[in-house]
Amino acid sequence: MSAVDSKKIIKDGLWNNNPVLVQILGLCPLLAVSGSIVNSLALGLATAFVITTSNIAVSLIRNYTTDTVRLPVFVMIIASFTTCIEFLMNAFTYELYLVLGIFIPLIVTNCAVLGRADAFASKNGVAASALDGLMTGLGFTAVIVTLGALREVLGQATLFDNMHLLFGDIAQNWAIHLVDDYKGFLFAVLPPGAFVIMGFLLALKNIIDKKLKERAAALLEKPATGSRRVRTTGNIS
Amino acid sequence: MSRRIWDIPGGIHPAENKQQSLQSGIIAANIPTELIIPIQQHIGAPGKPCVEVGDNVLKGQVIAGANGFVSVPTHAPTSGEVTAIESRPVQHPSQIDGLCIVIKTDGDDQWVNHSAINDYQSQERSYIIDAIRQAGIAGMGGAGFPSAIKLGIRPDTKIEQLLLNSAECEPYITADDSLIQERADEVIAGLKIMQWLVQPQETLIGIEDNKPNAIAALKQATADSNIEVVVVPTKYPSGGEKQLIYLLTGKEVASGGLPSDVGVICQNTGTAYAINRAIHYGEPLISRITTVTGDAITNKGNYEVLLGTPVSTLLSQADAKFDKTSRLIMGGPMMGFSIHNAAVPIVKVTNCLLAPTKKEIPEPDAEQACIRCGSCTQVCPAGLLPQQLYWFSKSNELEKAQHFNLADCIECGACSFVCPSNIPLVQYYRFSKGQIRKQEAETKKADQARERFEFRQARLEKEDREKEEKRKARAEAAAKKQAAKKAATAENTAASESGSTVSAGTESTGNTATTKLKSTWASATKRWKDAEKALKVAEKNGNDHIDALQKKVGQLKAKADNAKSLYDEAKLANAENADSSSSTSNLTTPITPEQPITPQQPATPPTNDPMQVLKQASADDFNTWKAAQQKVQEAEATPSDGVDIELLRKVEAEAKEKSVASKTAMKEARAKEKEAMQAKKAVEDPTKQLKLDAAITRTKAKKALKALESLGEDHASYGALKTAYEKAHTAAENAELALKAAEEA
Amino acid sequence: MSVLHVTSPHVHRPFTMNALMRHVIYATIPGLIVLTVLFGWGTLINVIFASIVAIAAEAIVLKLRNRPTSFSIKDGSAILTAVLLALAIPPTAPWWLTIIGIVFAIVIAKQLYGGLGSNPFNPAMIGYVLLLISFPLEMTTWVPAYTTEGITSVPTFAQSFAMIFGSVDRDIIDGITMATPLDTFKTYAGNDLTKLQSASVLQGNIAGVGWEWVNVAFLIGGIYLIARKIITWHIPVAVLSGVFLFAGIFHTLDPDSYASPIFHLLSGGTMLGAFFIATDPVTAATSNKGKLIYGALIGVLIYVIRAWGGYPDAVAFAVLLLNLCAPTIEYYTQPRAYGHKKANSGIAK
Repeated sequence: MSAVDSKKIIKDGLWNNNPVLVQILGLCPLLAVSGSIVNSLALGLATAFVITTSNIAVSLIRNYTTDTVRLPVFVMIIASFTTCIEFLMNAFTYELYLVLGIFIPLIVTNCAVLGRADAFASKNGVAASALDGLMTGLGFTAVIVTLGALREVLGQATLFDNMHLLFGDIAQNWAIHLVDDYKGFLFAVLPPGAFVIMGFLLALKNIIDKKLKERAAALLEKPATGSRRVRTTGNIS
Repeated sequence: MSRRIWDIPGGIHPAENKQQSLQSGIIAANIPTELIIPIQQHIGAPGKPCVEVGDNVLKGQVIAGANGFVSVPTHAPTSGEVTAIESRPVQHPSQIDGLCIVIKTDGDDQWVNHSAINDYQSQERSYIIDAIRQAGIAGMGGAGFPSAIKLGIRPDTKIEQLLLNSAECEPYITADDSLIQERADEVIAGLKIMQWLVQPQETLIGIEDNKPNAIAALKQATADSNIEVVVVPTKYPSGGEKQLIYLLTGKEVASGGLPSDVGVICQNTGTAYAINRAIHYGEPLISRITTVTGDAITNKGNYEVLLGTPVSTLLSQADAKFDKTSRLIMGGPMMGFSIHNAAVPIVKVTNCLLAPTKKEIPEPDAEQACIRCGSCTQVCPAGLLPQQLYWFSKSNELEKAQHFNLADCIECGACSFVCPSNIPLVQYYRFSKGQIRKQEAETKKADQARERFEFRQARLEKEDREKEEKRKARAEAAAKKQAAKKAATAENTAASESGSTVSAGTESTGNTATTKLKSTWASATKRWKDAEKALKVAEKNGNDHIDALQKKVGQLKAKADNAKSLYDEAKLANAENADSSSSTSNLTTPITPEQPITPQQPATPPTNDPMQVLKQASADDFNTWKAAQQKVQEAEATPSDGVDIELLRKVEAEAKEKSVASKTAMKEARAKEKEAMQAKKAVEDPTKQLKLDAAITRTKAKKALKALESLGEDHASYGALKTAYEKAHTAAENAELALKAAEEA
Repeated sequence: MSVLHVTSPHVHRPFTMNALMRHVIYATIPGLIVLTVLFGWGTLINVIFASIVAIAAEAIVLKLRNRPTSFSIKDGSAILTAVLLALAIPPTAPWWLTIIGIVFAIVIAKQLYGGLGSNPFNPAMIGYVLLLISFPLEMTTWVPAYTTEGITSVPTFAQSFAMIFGSVDRDIIDGITMATPLDTFKTYAGNDLTKLQSASVLQGNIAGVGWEWVNVAFLIGGIYLIARKIITWHIPVAVLSGVFLFAGIFHTLDPDSYASPIFHLLSGGTMLGAFFIATDPVTAATSNKGKLIYGALIGVLIYVIRAWGGYPDAVAFAVLLLNLCAPTIEYYTQPRAYGHKKANSGIAK
């Protein structure tokens, strides 16, 4: 695996081909549990774990599965790792396990996971697949955490509330209360709010991409210096 | 008796503005110094000019004959001299020019000989219909459909209602109104002629209730007849043909159908008047009543104007203030179109000239977004959903627009009139209709092209097949020959017990001399063998001629031996030749332009392109020379090896010469090839032209055939078309023949 | 002579969209007056404040979208949205509530869908629903109407202004507010019959106290709209019939649990919804048959949600749900075109 390749994988996973912002995959858990940072982070990491491990596994067996049975096989692999993470969370972060509820087992059905397994891992080597899985997972996590943060701020005017559910007692005091006596903006907490905020995130990504493209184009268009005299005074009318 | 009125859906009530032009009676318009008469003032084929520039014409004289079934003749509106037959701006919404006959009037207004048809009821109906046709009468309400066609119904069609359309629902226009007020009797007389022609169960006149004077006049004129005047409520567009039919009869003309399909014929008021003039006075349609109105006109009113009078002349007579008017509209404010050139003439369908001031009809406001308020749906007389049609037109979803019955839109403009967002809806529909027409034409064209292509493909295939068959036949014959030969060879081989020569023999098929020798040998051997057999048989049977036979066998054997030795010699020579050329490379094989093909060339793979062979040879020679040169150089560098440098040098020089020679040969060959190609091209070009010609004539023939088929035999111009088709067909055949000849050549 | 090329028709009805919107706003005046008389100046202040916010929001978005700003604002649609939303929210609604609702309505529900004419949902109702689900407390408490027993005065202009712009403690406002008749009925119906019968807010002359007059005022405004041919009768009549029919059936079956049809017609936002909200042409069906189906379904949904749903009033939800169905209704209720035996249906062959 060449260095250029890994650079591209990292870029793709995090930005250019982000599972959420570009592929619009895995919206169900994204919209349902991104009510706060802690929920988002937990689900994001769990999903990242499943994508990475299942990518590795799929890559390992990619030469031994036929086309006809590959999808059931991939789903089985993903389901196994999802069960692993479910048990892990049950054991170590029980409250979060209860909060996230059905959305942990639902990782199996997250299209982003199966998508990477089928589109990337089944065609590439183990190392590349592992990196791709990790980056895709992190890209997913980044978006869901951003969404969670925005919804937490808008809905409850807090940040990092309840982080001890994930990080234990040291995180007891991490919560930041931005506004005292906040009424709460229920809309942001409810799924429709997630949709709208998600839409704005997509728009933001498009704006950034457009700006980047413009800048790149401007750099390319810069005329060769010295080739022509530049008029410094006066107007041409 | 009060008759039921079926109310049409939708409709609007724009300001009527009719009183302005009703203040005076019908005003006779001046005869202009120049009349511009378009040869097309009706729907259908334009007329065919039958006068020449410089001819003097009389009032009522035919100046352009009808050209086909859906066409009417055109007459000179007054006496004068034809000064030009040329393209002039005409009454077309898209401002295109049309062919016009220009007459310089002489002021005498002298009639051509014409006579009334007395007692039309004693004539044949077809004679009267033809008289109406010859009078150049076309629907004067706006569309200009030749009236004779409408009236010339098939004998099996039962007409239940004959309607006279006097509704005149568009604002401003009062041409029919004033005509009825002043000449109701003549209008009714015309209607009666039509009544006699189509024999309807009932005859109705539809008129809006905002014309009380006209209603009174009509009632008086129809008092002693079975014609009924039906007053309908004023509402735009109740004067539309389909709308009026529904209003008076409750019948709907099926989408894409004709009124006569439901047993109704609807004619315009002006048309009835024109028919009356044509039958009872023998006067063709050369003038009409046109409303000239709008606030920019001082003398508003209805003018009886000669067809062909330029708009500018009429407007001057009505004292129009050109600087005040915002636009000049031919027709009413709802369906008329703006004209940009006052030189445009008045034609058969011009019922109104509207010159409004900027205050009266201001420029349209900017278009706003459609809020789907549905006002348009409420007013659409055709029961369409205009706002949906608008969205589909705007997004160019023509299929959906068609599904929503865009074709049934009558472009009355009611939707645009009420639109609060100032959307020019009708314009969108016109555009979409145009797109659909274009698309259909393109589909048709593509179909035709495909047909043509398939036909050509089939023809080519057929030719190919024929060629292939010929080739096959030839190949078979050759194969037969070959087989016979082979059999002979095999026999011969068996006889001479020299298996090794077989391969050599077959190998040198290219060498004709050897082959000939071989066959001679073979046949000689065969004859000898036969003779021997015969001898043996004779011996067995104890024949008398054994001696003779034996002698003969001996002779034959000698001959065969001779042949064999000759053949062997030749073969040997051949083999030697081949051997020597393969061992000494090209050095010993002279290549000259006269002998471009060298099949013995061992280095080149078998190829039939002489150029290729030459190229290869040249390259080989060049390589040989280079190799030789290198050897010489090597030898020079290491003279101690004792190699004969001189010899090497000689070889090198020879190789160089050879290489140069082969190169020249190749170049010459190339030049020759080019020449040949050019010659070939020169031969091909006229073929191409011929092909094109053939295709064109073929299409023409096809078109003519189609036109012919669509017309039906009962048609007047059938004969002419048929001749045209036959001509086209012959032309196509000739072209095809020429093409074939060229191709064969 | 002008070279302007204009195709027919050349004349137009002198009636623009701007006038249309203006007439709808005029028609809300009776309702606005009654609201002001019964509940104080709050509603009027909200209407004016909301209009200003709406124009500002519209102008900013139009600028961002590179559209002609003043031309589009002049059509009056933004102001109409603001007026309708302000009439729907309580007179005590704080300023930020109005801002959130209006901005959401104008920016997200209208402009992000492409602006006037392209929005699938009624912007005012989107704003209203956003506020209702986000701030249920502020959105469901009203000051008692002037005619309620024991209420002798309505908030003065200064009091209303202070309540809206936040210089009065929210607790005090909450102290003087009370539930609307619909809310009260929902709370007690079917479980506390005595309270239901004794609730003062339900003892109006015809229906719930105060609200009966508000609804009558909107009914008058609606009749004005029909008379001016701004709207057709189809949608309002269908909505009201739907509500009346369902309320009638259930009230006859069980009068203790289900309020009378008159109560339903004259409570909450029924009349405002039937004449002003459901008739928003952009989001409604346009053929007459379609309008009847659309209206009737709204009426039924209003009753269903009021009777068995989680919220006391349901006009906004019912209208939004039917907005969703309007295109489909449209495709299957096309009028029969002239010369065709059967009406078209569906979208294409």
